[in-house]
Amino acid sequence: MSDDKYDAIVVGAGPAGSSAALTMAENNMSVLLLERGEYPGAKNVFGGTIYCQPTEIICPAFWEEAPLERPVTSEELWLLDNDSAVKIGFTGLRFAKPPYNKFTALRSKFDRWLAEKAKKAGADLVTGTLAKELIYDGGRARNRKAIGVLTENGDRIYSDIVIIAEGVTGNLVETAGLQKKISPDSLTLYVKEVMELPSNKIEERFNLGKDEGAVLGLVGYPSSGAIGKGAIFTNKDSISIMVGAYLNQLIEKGLNPFLLMDRLKKHPLIKRLIEGAKIVEFQAHTIPKGGFGQMPKLFSPGVMVVGDAAAMIVGRRGADLAMLTGKFAGETATQAKAANNFSESLAAYEKKVNSSFFLQDMKAGRKTKDYYRQHPDADFLLTKAANQVAYEYFTVDMVPHHQKIENIIGKVASLQPLPKTIEDIYQGFFHWGVF
Amino acid sequence: MDNFSKIADMPLDFVKIKPEGVSHISIKNLSLCSKQCENKPCTYYCPTGVYYWDDDAMKIQVIYARCVECGACPYGCPYGNIDWRFPAGGYGVIYEYG
Repeated sequence: MSDDKYDAIVVGAGPAGSSAALTMAENNMSVLLLERGEYPGAKNVFGGTIYCQPTEIICPAFWEEAPLERPVTSEELWLLDNDSAVKIGFTGLRFAKPPYNKFTALRSKFDRWLAEKAKKAGADLVTGTLAKELIYDGGRARNRKAIGVLTENGDRIYSDIVIIAEGVTGNLVETAGLQKKISPDSLTLYVKEVMELPSNKIEERFNLGKDEGAVLGLVGYPSSGAIGKGAIFTNKDSISIMVGAYLNQLIEKGLNPFLLMDRLKKHPLIKRLIEGAKIVEFQAHTIPKGGFGQMPKLFSPGVMVVGDAAAMIVGRRGADLAMLTGKFAGETATQAKAANNFSESLAAYEKKVNSSFFLQDMKAGRKTKDYYRQHPDADFLLTKAANQVAYEYFTVDMVPHHQKIENIIGKVASLQPLPKTIEDIYQGFFHWGVF
Repeated sequence: MDNFSKIADMPLDFVKIKPEGVSHISIKNLSLCSKQCENKPCTYYCPTGVYYWDDDAMKIQVIYARCVECGACPYGCPYGNIDWRFPAGGYGVIYEYG
């Protein structure tokens, strides 16, 4: 392919890259979609759900064709302590019907589907090939323009635009001089296991109707004192269980994520949910949680950065923001081609991101991050307090009512000052995000 | 990996990895680990136990074939002493569920 020249090369066939490739191919651009994995999705991990409204922007009524697991009708947040849990939950059966709300999914299938969609629209998909570095024109370092990529095989492939969708682990953003800013307190590290369980058992254990799905978010016990989370997602014939925390806290507290997983699976309230389930896959991945402060420069002459590579994560949202930024970049590339300007015109991509709903959330997320940096024990204290209060409240005892209320307040106050508890609840509300 | 021994389900029993012939991970300065790094966190935060401390050789050993490319190690190392790159195209972890 050494003599090939494309309108655009997209590096990475995850949700961001494939969405960009699809958008451009639909606009009659010639596109090369490069993927280092054996197939799209071979390297990709996420928690577990695809959100409908943003995904419909990429593919209307995608649920009719995409490989999905279950529409989520039931969401619960558990404040999990050693032998108890305070549960906050919602079940909405409206979410079981079109237009749905979100679906559990497995990435190896979903990503392959989306990349195939870009291919059907006209993009060339090349897998098992690693892009080593960008190729530049002869311009000065400050305003040099990318004119293609060099693959590991030594092939030079040329294009007017390169879209970097290499995920959090790649190094093209850095070598392109776009100031990748990653520190261990802006990364979370999660491990996940996919466990096979018959569908009728899933529906029985999670109190679901046929084909309905549930998501459990688990705070407190799972991350063993670090700021992190556990979660369970129900797939068709399997469940995904995950746990993780901020990398700097895992390091400071001497925690191994795999041991956290083992510990979570042995928790008496979790054990009964996964009893008899057979592990079929172990996975691990980092998430760029740094928010606005971690965002690299989003474009340079001939280059745009999308998805995780650009740290597009808000709370639990990531795959959908990847698809949206991919589409933004694809649209910008289309306009750039029409204007025959592949340098300054790419600023339109940054404008689209800046005026998006999620950028506001990314900016707000910085405060939450700072809070947890100062108070890494917030979730732990809150979970303890909630469970102690619940035990006190639900215990049928022999004291008058007003005494019971005083006992409850005493329990909470013994852990930390009351205003701090209230602040923790307020911050937790933002940090845990919309489950 | 000693502390994993009490656990029945080992992570690498449940993930498909196609290791390439050469390591995609290297320690930039081997003596730094023994001289300056007290806790050697890479030996415990790596989810699949790629790194272990070799007491005889007095250095960190890297079993790159265990790597699932989670991306944590280069950023977790307090001295930025880990050089981690993508394995060659088609090699490394191959998730079938994801």
